[in-house]
Amino acid sequence: MAAIATPQPTKTPKPKTNHRTIAAAISIVPGMGQLYNKQFLKGATFFIVVLSYFLVNFELFFKGAGNGPGDRGAIWGLITLGEVAGVRGDHSIFLMVEGIIALILLVFGIAIYVWNFIDAYRIGKLRDLELEVPSLKMQLRNFRDNGFPYAMLIPSLVLLVFTVVLPLIFTFLIAFTNYKFNNSPPAKLVDWIGIQNFLNIFTVDIFRDTFVSVLGWTLVWTVASTTGVIAIGIGLAVLLNQKGLKGKRFFRSILILSWAVPAFITILIFRSMFNETFGVFNTTLLPAIGLDSGVEWMTDPTYTKLALIGIQWWLGFPYIMTLTTGILQSIPEDLYEAATIDGATSGEKFRLITLPMILFATAPILITQYTFNFNNFNIIYLFNNGGPAVPGQSAGGTDILISWIYKLSLGSNPQYGFAAAITLVLSFFIMTIAVIQFKRSKSFKDEDMI
Amino acid sequence: MKKLVAGLSVSVMAIGALAACGGGTDSGSSDTSSEGGKKPTKIVIWEDTEKAETTKAAAKAFEEKEGVKVEVKEVKMTDQQKKVALDGPAGKGPDIILLPHDQIGTVVDQGLIAELKDGEKALEPFIDTAKSAVTFDGKVYGYPKAVETPILLFNKDELKEAPASMDDLYKISTEQKKDGKYGFLALWDNFYFAHGPIGGYGGYVFKENGGKLDPADIGLNNKGAVEGMDYIGKWYKEGLFPKGLIGGGGGQAMDQLFGDKKAVAVMNGPWAVASYKEKGINLGASALPKLPNGEAIKTFVGVKTYAVSAYSENQEWAEKFLASLTGEENAKAMFEKYNEIPPVTSLQEDATIKDNEVAAAVFAQSKDGVPMPNIAEMGQVWEPMAAALQLVATNKQDAQKSADDAVKQIKQQIEANNQ
Repeated sequence: MAAIATPQPTKTPKPKTNHRTIAAAISIVPGMGQLYNKQFLKGATFFIVVLSYFLVNFELFFKGAGNGPGDRGAIWGLITLGEVAGVRGDHSIFLMVEGIIALILLVFGIAIYVWNFIDAYRIGKLRDLELEVPSLKMQLRNFRDNGFPYAMLIPSLVLLVFTVVLPLIFTFLIAFTNYKFNNSPPAKLVDWIGIQNFLNIFTVDIFRDTFVSVLGWTLVWTVASTTGVIAIGIGLAVLLNQKGLKGKRFFRSILILSWAVPAFITILIFRSMFNETFGVFNTTLLPAIGLDSGVEWMTDPTYTKLALIGIQWWLGFPYIMTLTTGILQSIPEDLYEAATIDGATSGEKFRLITLPMILFATAPILITQYTFNFNNFNIIYLFNNGGPAVPGQSAGGTDILISWIYKLSLGSNPQYGFAAAITLVLSFFIMTIAVIQFKRSKSFKDEDMI
Repeated sequence: MKKLVAGLSVSVMAIGALAACGGGTDSGSSDTSSEGGKKPTKIVIWEDTEKAETTKAAAKAFEEKEGVKVEVKEVKMTDQQKKVALDGPAGKGPDIILLPHDQIGTVVDQGLIAELKDGEKALEPFIDTAKSAVTFDGKVYGYPKAVETPILLFNKDELKEAPASMDDLYKISTEQKKDGKYGFLALWDNFYFAHGPIGGYGGYVFKENGGKLDPADIGLNNKGAVEGMDYIGKWYKEGLFPKGLIGGGGGQAMDQLFGDKKAVAVMNGPWAVASYKEKGINLGASALPKLPNGEAIKTFVGVKTYAVSAYSENQEWAEKFLASLTGEENAKAMFEKYNEIPPVTSLQEDATIKDNEVAAAVFAQSKDGVPMPNIAEMGQVWEPMAAALQLVATNKQDAQKSADDAVKQIKQQIEANNQ
């Protein structure tokens, strides 16, 4: 919807008329101000639109969609989350969703209503200043020339609000309730409990001890796995880009193969390969190079962690390699020639020309790689389900935050409210890091690299 | 100015879209309660996927006899609980759902299923284990469909007949180990299977008091339970169970060893029979042998249960249909087609079942087993116990300490969950 700008105080001598105030004031009835400004069609449109909008949604706001006997409207539902428990009673979660939808619709409606005031005021101001009021024809032409993108964007915006914003608000609100498996409708009502869930993260023993250690490993995992992937990817791309290398295509095709197989399958294959007794690592590969063959890949946390990071490197590097290969083609050759004349070594060329160019172009993608691995649920869950067991904590030795939340919230013991609270803390964490990184990366500054 | 015009037309369009959305949230609620004697137009039952043929046949017969249509929808059993929680309140739910009996407590706490009108009478035809499985808090909540419990599956080419005791199996395992092979294998780092020996030595999950389970009295770190865990640890420490059975991929490794004839016997449920036979194993089945202390291995018994949705408006008719569906005739048909072993007392002596080695073994083992606790608190037991068992199996911590930690954590989680 349109942004509501406060009108600038005018510095012109006080006009004789005061159309703006009158127009705005009588816009209490939508469209009246426009009529007063002699913009009949616009006025009629405003009137019909606002009136029908609130008529259509009146029932939802004040009578409810029938989620239980006492459904007295979405706003009531959102505040109380129901009053009568039971199969034929109020369903708190339905009431909450209904309330959120109603709130969004209400905000839309109010925005249009406010727009009607602003519009009347502005046109009135034009009249006060004895400027030309745009005719219907002009407005239509204006719309055709400038309004088209807006008209195209609106449907997707509305869709976005209901597919993205609504679930986000829902998650946010759930974090402030006592919604969990053994406290859920229809048997019980859900209640607002303020920030209790957030306090629980730091006060309840099993959560507190575990949270810190899980967070620690999550950070280590994110940095180690992603940085490794980036380093290997860039390294290989630069290697394969050397002049005079024969069979470039062949090597590139070979190296891309690990990207071609779905990660899901690769991880399960690796799980078998790392089996302590029968896996190929312990039975064949390690003895072949004369190493100990009894490595506890699945039962010792440290080795499981190493295996996981290795697998992620294997899975992730082709993407970065391909990306970098493309960027290397666009680095102007004369940069290197100039560097050669200045007597730069190949190491200096890489450090001062190639790497900055690559990072400049890929920074946003690299950041998303970090956030992806921070929440890389698949690999942790599939490889060893977050195990092995560690004495005295409720998460496994390789559980990252997301897989631990999964165990807590969707495992055998779901606590939706608590999980939502942790999710919020996590999201906040990731968003902060992402914003800082984005701000610092040169890609988002309007300046050229060269 | 341009913006103004653009913005106005935009809001017009938005409203069109919004009004459509607004209208969409209206869902009519029906508050009509059922009248006892009136015949419903139809009742809906959710049956497990790919196991619905016999149920459909039973539904047809019921319709012809009673004049009430029964619609059979296929929904994966493990998804039904989540689905009914959403569909029921929305008025689109079924009358009958199928669930593993250990979820009964949770589902009752959520208010999703209804107590049977005349439970005592309904349960008469079933075996005792199944009866207590579907009873929660002294009330009956469902009709048992099928019973499952881990049994001993062995390779008849290696073992002529089922061993009488675990000690015999232990001897076989040590012999086999000399040839680099394995004797008996079990996933005893998973509490579902590990409860067998733990229970056999005297451990228990929740104390039963007069048909009710007491979540405050946990017996997983008592003397017997620790003995059981030590016994489990022995198999791992002596290398009779390979390390590759622990943690992720353990089940896969066990199936492969047995399928490749590198192991003589395994502890597994009837669901594994088909895949073993496909691998060409000459499969024998029996109840699990006795533990060294002379007690039976007390496996967890699971009972697939039909329950009536609390949102159903035709409860009486739903129960009527279930009585016929789980009755002798239909239960036998289900067994013949899908190998679902019916916990019906009169069928135990039935030739079809007696001649089926697996079914007979499951029946025999169910008598020694205990029904998996069906109270919601059971959900807090799995993870901590799995961790404790893994620590014992990998010899990282002694059984007593691991068990104490696990029980402490179970109690903490129950407490946190009940806040």
